[in-house]
Amino acid sequence: MDWLDVRGFVEWSTDGVTQATIGQTRFWEYKDVVSTVLTEATMGGVVFGLIMGTVLMIIWIERKLIARLMDRRGAMTSMRSLWAGESGLDAGEWWRKVPYGIGSIIGRVIRLLQRIIGNSSKKPTVDRVNDRSYLGWPILPGMFQNVADGVKLLQKEWMVPKSADRMMFEAAPIIIISSTVVILGLIPLGPGIYGPDLQYGVLFAMAVFGVAPLGIFFAAWASNNKYALIGGIRSAAQLTAYEIPLLLVVLSVCILSGSFNFREIVQDQIDAHTWNIFIMPVGFLLFITTMVAEVERTPFDMPEAEAELVEGWWTEYGGLRWGLLFAVEYLRTYAACILTALFFLGGWQAPFAGLIAATPGIGEQLAFIYGLIPGVAWVLIKAWFVFTIFVWVRAALPRVRTDQILEFGWQWLLPLAVLNVLIAGMMRLFLYEPLTDGWFTWNIIPTMLLGSIPFLILIAYTSEEGEDATRPEPILVTDLSHNALATKAKQLDGADTV
Amino acid sequence: MWITMGPQHPMTHGLWTLRVKVDGEIVTDSEPELGFIHRGVEKICESRDFTQITPYCDRLCYVSANTWAQAYVYAAEDLLEVEVPERAEYIRLIAVEIQRIASHLMWLGAYTPDVGNLTVFLYCWRDREMFVDLLQELGGSRLHYNFPRIGGVKRDLPIGFAQRARAKINIFFDRLREYERMLDESTIFLIRTQDIGCTKAEDLIAHGVSGPNLRAGGVNYDIRQANPYSVYEELDWEPAVESPSIKGGDSYDRYRVRMEEMRQSANMVLEALDKIPGGAETHHAPDDPAILAKAPLRAPEGASSMHRFEDSRGEAAFHIIGGGEQRGKYPYRISIRSPMFITIPYVTKVLIGHKIADIPAIFGSFDPCIGETDR
Amino acid sequence: MATSLSTSANEASVNALVAATEKRFGGAGIEISTKKHAGGRHNHSYLTMTVPAQHLKSLAKWLKHEQNIDLCSLITGVHWPAKAPEQEWEVVYHLVRTTVRNPPVVEGSQTVGLRVDYNALPVSQTPLEIEIHVLLPSDSPVVDTVEDIWPSASWNEKETWDLVGIEFSGHQNLHRVLLPADTPVGYHPLQKQHKIRYHEFNEMYDDPQGFGRKPIDKDRVK
Repeated sequence: MDWLDVRGFVEWSTDGVTQATIGQTRFWEYKDVVSTVLTEATMGGVVFGLIMGTVLMIIWIERKLIARLMDRRGAMTSMRSLWAGESGLDAGEWWRKVPYGIGSIIGRVIRLLQRIIGNSSKKPTVDRVNDRSYLGWPILPGMFQNVADGVKLLQKEWMVPKSADRMMFEAAPIIIISSTVVILGLIPLGPGIYGPDLQYGVLFAMAVFGVAPLGIFFAAWASNNKYALIGGIRSAAQLTAYEIPLLLVVLSVCILSGSFNFREIVQDQIDAHTWNIFIMPVGFLLFITTMVAEVERTPFDMPEAEAELVEGWWTEYGGLRWGLLFAVEYLRTYAACILTALFFLGGWQAPFAGLIAATPGIGEQLAFIYGLIPGVAWVLIKAWFVFTIFVWVRAALPRVRTDQILEFGWQWLLPLAVLNVLIAGMMRLFLYEPLTDGWFTWNIIPTMLLGSIPFLILIAYTSEEGEDATRPEPILVTDLSHNALATKAKQLDGADTV
Repeated sequence: MWITMGPQHPMTHGLWTLRVKVDGEIVTDSEPELGFIHRGVEKICESRDFTQITPYCDRLCYVSANTWAQAYVYAAEDLLEVEVPERAEYIRLIAVEIQRIASHLMWLGAYTPDVGNLTVFLYCWRDREMFVDLLQELGGSRLHYNFPRIGGVKRDLPIGFAQRARAKINIFFDRLREYERMLDESTIFLIRTQDIGCTKAEDLIAHGVSGPNLRAGGVNYDIRQANPYSVYEELDWEPAVESPSIKGGDSYDRYRVRMEEMRQSANMVLEALDKIPGGAETHHAPDDPAILAKAPLRAPEGASSMHRFEDSRGEAAFHIIGGGEQRGKYPYRISIRSPMFITIPYVTKVLIGHKIADIPAIFGSFDPCIGETDR
Repeated sequence: MATSLSTSANEASVNALVAATEKRFGGAGIEISTKKHAGGRHNHSYLTMTVPAQHLKSLAKWLKHEQNIDLCSLITGVHWPAKAPEQEWEVVYHLVRTTVRNPPVVEGSQTVGLRVDYNALPVSQTPLEIEIHVLLPSDSPVVDTVEDIWPSASWNEKETWDLVGIEFSGHQNLHRVLLPADTPVGYHPLQKQHKIRYHEFNEMYDDPQGFGRKPIDKDRVK
């Protein structure tokens, strides 16, 4: 338990409040129930608020990292763009349009800022195609882009196609969004920040996570558009195919910890002083792969593949409906990253804490400073790190075709996931020593070896496919008749050069 | 069910409609509709001077403007019987090959997002900037240069051009290796492009397909060698050929052929800069006879000419019928052979039997450009 | 290392084809001659023929199957209203002999690419170009289609019909390809009676959007 014990504070204060209010009335026997409900609701709200507040961070990571990977430099839009001009070009005196005369105050502030930190560079406006770094020092580089995008989407037309099934068309985003948002309140973000602590929290979260494909299919069908329909069917097939390995991997993690409770899974990792990623590396890779397919990111984003389907099942959605679907894709990705951090990366445990504490001499002071970072920060940092991997994969890989995705899911991931479950079961039965005060809960070396068996199988199977055979070099011909070519070919065959 | 990949579509690389009939995910029939940007260039050119037609030809295929302008100028020189000075031929060759590299980079930058990879798209734009800069130095603007003149070229190589070109091409070789590492070794790219859109060489030539699409089928037919023009035989180069599988040249072969062609073109430019008569550092004034021969303004009576040219997408040809004394300043009829006009209907037949998801992988690999298709 | 086609190889192949054609079709009203590319550095020759419309199909078949002319590059339709009525329409075919063959199979599923040495080929396989002129009378600009011989001619013929108005009998599907599908029947813009709006180059600068023009149906009674 670290110092940031929000839950304890909330419990204490609701106890006090209910004691002071209900405890003094004739309903005093319901005091505990009311207090519990209030606490859970408040904490659910806190967790939800934290996640929604920090989702801007991952959108920023995605934009910036993809930009740098694609060799684009500089901020696209920052707060500064509101007042800064570039060599005489700026957004115009937009503040004059603001009603009720507020604009003049804004105008004065902007002129002040322009004098202080404005841009008087003489470089031409578009210097080079991909390099905008000449704009100088922006404030909150690129953060404003997301706000600008949101505002743009808000002010677009709220449109439903005439021949679309209106009720389902409007209901579909609601289904998708609500099923995602429900999970966000359940995930614990720290030892002292968690909402309702369900005993079967993982099951519930996975069940609700799986409702989204239903919403996607509604959206596709109700749009009355061939592109949307094709996209939706591909999506339904893909998500169904990848739900099963996902659930099996989650099951194996829960087997390792012996419970379906999020906090107990994390606590077991902390007690064992090893994170699940080391015990079950294949599970980690499987989880990440299936999660990338679940949230429909490249390389598995065929359902919304821009190349042939315009936007796939999102095609008919415009304006804020599209914005919400876009946001929910990122929320699902974020939820997936946080789940990875909790299941495999040790949740809120600070990495290398013991090593830092063991530094000769200043160990205790370092450990104290290190311990000031609250657990929730570690969960979020790990989630962002996992997200960075997702973004890197997106930048580097092309799209896989739908039937190849399905083949991959059913033929490779499902057997590996089943194998993983078996191995997790064996590890729990034979290599788990109940916590004795000591250093190890797992008999660590055999555990790590056993957990990597699927990995070795995978490597053994895939490394043979390797490079395709080198192709023969073209040959010089001086006679194009059929016999001559056939003779040349026979010569090559016999000469055994390839 | 017929799906219309309508005139506005992120994949179609231009303004045309592809209607495909699908059965589930398999394409069973398909039909193109062209003509959305038909600008009537052939009719317009009937009332323009021979020199006034050159800018129109830039705009035929705007991605590869220099090659089309050159194609026209060679046909016009056949008609007007003009001999071009050798230095001008070298400068033209440099411009055409740099344009070919830029066009293939544009192709790569449009093809990889079709397959899903957005990173190579922006890398290609970054590298294309280098070549568009070089062409801007030669021709004056970034997209439509109006660079060749009947009898030579508009301007000589600028001072320092050779040094900049060599530096940029040396950077480009490294970048080409980067692309090859990124795409050739990517399993996903291979499974998306291998055995997709297989075409056999004799089918291709019967249907009129030429250029890199044909060389991916296994024969090195290149107009620069079969019907030679300009100074290509003084340079050391080979057309890029692939040895395809038994089913024919697939999308991966077409991709490889174009990557090799970029390398060949880059080498040709370096060699041409070394071998240019007079050296790459001398700079003649725009009307100097070393770079521009005087061309007659009127065509002889009853003359006609036909010149075929190796454009980045295949065989471009201009057939010009001169008008003689009556209308001698203007051509009587100018007929333009566009490689893509012939290739696109063929590709729609190749699509049959593949899945919808393969449509961009196949079409992108043939490098469509609708400007020249619709003229 | 393949080098470009040399002048001598080109001359030899063109002369051989001229001789073969005269032997096969001499006296059927076909005039054969050679022309040279007049500009540039390589003055290669090519074959020019003027063929009566009724012999076109048999000549085309013979060229394709016996002489291996495998590419129909361009089909041009020209309208000559100033000439005699029997020669008002002209169709020009540009045909090419390429060296394209299917690469031979070496190992079951792999073929080997070909690099052709143009100068070492036998004369009947060397690349060359051919131009065929067919003159058609003014009242029936109809000629046999060659799309069953060279599939690449199919869309060229569509375009020729669409823009010039020459019909190709036997063509499967002549439809408007560059003009919109609802263009009036009988409107073929490349015929000489249709003038483009700005015949003079300078008019474009005086009134680019045509505000000074009168509408097309100004004098028509509605």
